[in-house]
Amino acid sequence: MASLRLNWKLIAGALVLLGAAAFAADRARDHQAWERRLLIALPDQVVADPQLVRFAIAEARPLYARHCAACHGADMRGNPALGAPSLSDSAWLYGSGTVYDIERTLLYGVRSGRSRSHNITDMPAFGLTGRLSDGDIRSVVQYVLQLSGDNYDPTAANEGRRVFYGAANCSDCHGMDARGDSGYGAPDLTRNVWNSGSSAQDLFRAIYFGEHRVMPAWRGVLPLEQIRALAVYVYWASHPTPAQAANTYAQSMITPGGAAQKQ
Amino acid sequence: MNMATPEIDAEPARGRLAALLAYRPQRSALLPSIGIAAGLLIAAAGVFHRAPPDRGTVPAGYAALVNQKGILTSDLIAQSVAELGKPFADVTSAERARVLHEMIDEELLVQRALVLDLPETTTEVREAMTGGVNAQVAAPLLAEQPTDEQLRAYYDAHRAKYTADGSMNVRDLVLHIGGYENADQSMAQARIDATEAVYQLRSGAAADYVMEHFGFSDSGRMKFGNEPDFAAKLHLGPTLYPAATRLTEGQVSDPVADTDGLHVLIMQQRRMPTIADFAAARSAVYADYREDVAKAAQRENVKILRGQAQIILAPGESE
Repeated sequence: MASLRLNWKLIAGALVLLGAAAFAADRARDHQAWERRLLIALPDQVVADPQLVRFAIAEARPLYARHCAACHGADMRGNPALGAPSLSDSAWLYGSGTVYDIERTLLYGVRSGRSRSHNITDMPAFGLTGRLSDGDIRSVVQYVLQLSGDNYDPTAANEGRRVFYGAANCSDCHGMDARGDSGYGAPDLTRNVWNSGSSAQDLFRAIYFGEHRVMPAWRGVLPLEQIRALAVYVYWASHPTPAQAANTYAQSMITPGGAAQKQ
Repeated sequence: MNMATPEIDAEPARGRLAALLAYRPQRSALLPSIGIAAGLLIAAAGVFHRAPPDRGTVPAGYAALVNQKGILTSDLIAQSVAELGKPFADVTSAERARVLHEMIDEELLVQRALVLDLPETTTEVREAMTGGVNAQVAAPLLAEQPTDEQLRAYYDAHRAKYTADGSMNVRDLVLHIGGYENADQSMAQARIDATEAVYQLRSGAAADYVMEHFGFSDSGRMKFGNEPDFAAKLHLGPTLYPAATRLTEGQVSDPVADTDGLHVLIMQQRRMPTIADFAAARSAVYADYREDVAKAAQRENVKILRGQAQIILAPGESE
């Protein structure tokens, strides 16, 4: 009788284990269903589904900590020393900050060596290559400070303005209105949002040495659903209020000009 | 016949029967246990068994599967926007279908290229592939800009790169030894004649007079007149060119022995090579520096690949 009791205990234990396994498997299936739902939607439609956004954020948090925080910071505010942009504001180097834009950047990176990455141009090293003298660069810095609403030296800024609009200089990429072009990653200089620091010295360095920052391509490294989740997470971080999010979504709906990287 | 009934020892039989009876309850629990365990295993397998992928279903995130190779929906969007030049929201379903059709065609051709083993047989494909790998390897290193000091050091180490070629117009006179023109002339006599010719040339005698008087002829090596240094080097050859580079305009060389006789060089026109100073060459130095950084990364990558590869050379081959 003792062995009979033992057998029944074993059977009961096995049933409990099987039940737990079945529960876990059910959860995994549920998780897969959510991942599928996340991917089936067009990128920018995800933000219209709060449940899906919650799922994506929960998925992306540990991924962000593991893969992105080293450059963009655990608080998503970027790292000027690395030229890694803040992901928590509304300024975008590439695209207009939609989930689609962000996802494109995640998929193919920036100057990652893949032709689908954002690699049309980069900021030339004006000082290093001798295209502009140190004096010219100092003047341009003052003009840029003026553009961004910071304190500036009017005389130097006036001279800097001449250099800024000179042939093959700043305005070619940043535009006559200095508002940049997110089609090829030229930042808006009027917003006072900077990747590599905002002091006059930082700006001098950026113009003198240029900017040739690189972001890796994550396609083939992370599964698609994780890339989508990260895109939603970054979108969510930079669109904290639903009204803001809805506004960006309505305005953009995937515009020409490629994917998004924060400036 | 008295058939005697064999005596049976009933005790062992009774013992075996009792043992059998005693065993029954255990057997009755064991068999169902085995059955239940098997059932549980089958059920567990059912729970954890992943259904084989449905070959007719496109995975989420993809717009199409072409021979099991996916075309990303994101790429379809990007291609549509790039091709049609309007927001994806404005792309009609017909336009989207057309773009997808083109992408599928392209995917089919890429797959066909692999079947045809184009990387093995087509130079352009190989170049594109190696270039693609090299670009990816170099990308992270190119993110770092050099400092002024690094650029200066690079310039100092590679000054020859920033040297513009000079040019020269040299008259090259040759005194053949032996042969048709100077059948009786010995090397010793030729040296005496050539030395005298050089003396007269340096004293202002005309080249034509010297040629006629001593039996020199034009070598024909510098028939194009004024030539860049690289061309003069090619035409004069390794013996005469160094002698020519030591001459300034108007100077006459000492006699130089070459395979076809004794030569005398008269430098008629000379522009010396010019070295661009650092300030003037900065842009080129910067480009060359970055190119070298990329090449170093690519070399390192190949070294790693070689470390991981099995490379067997045929007998007699080396690399």
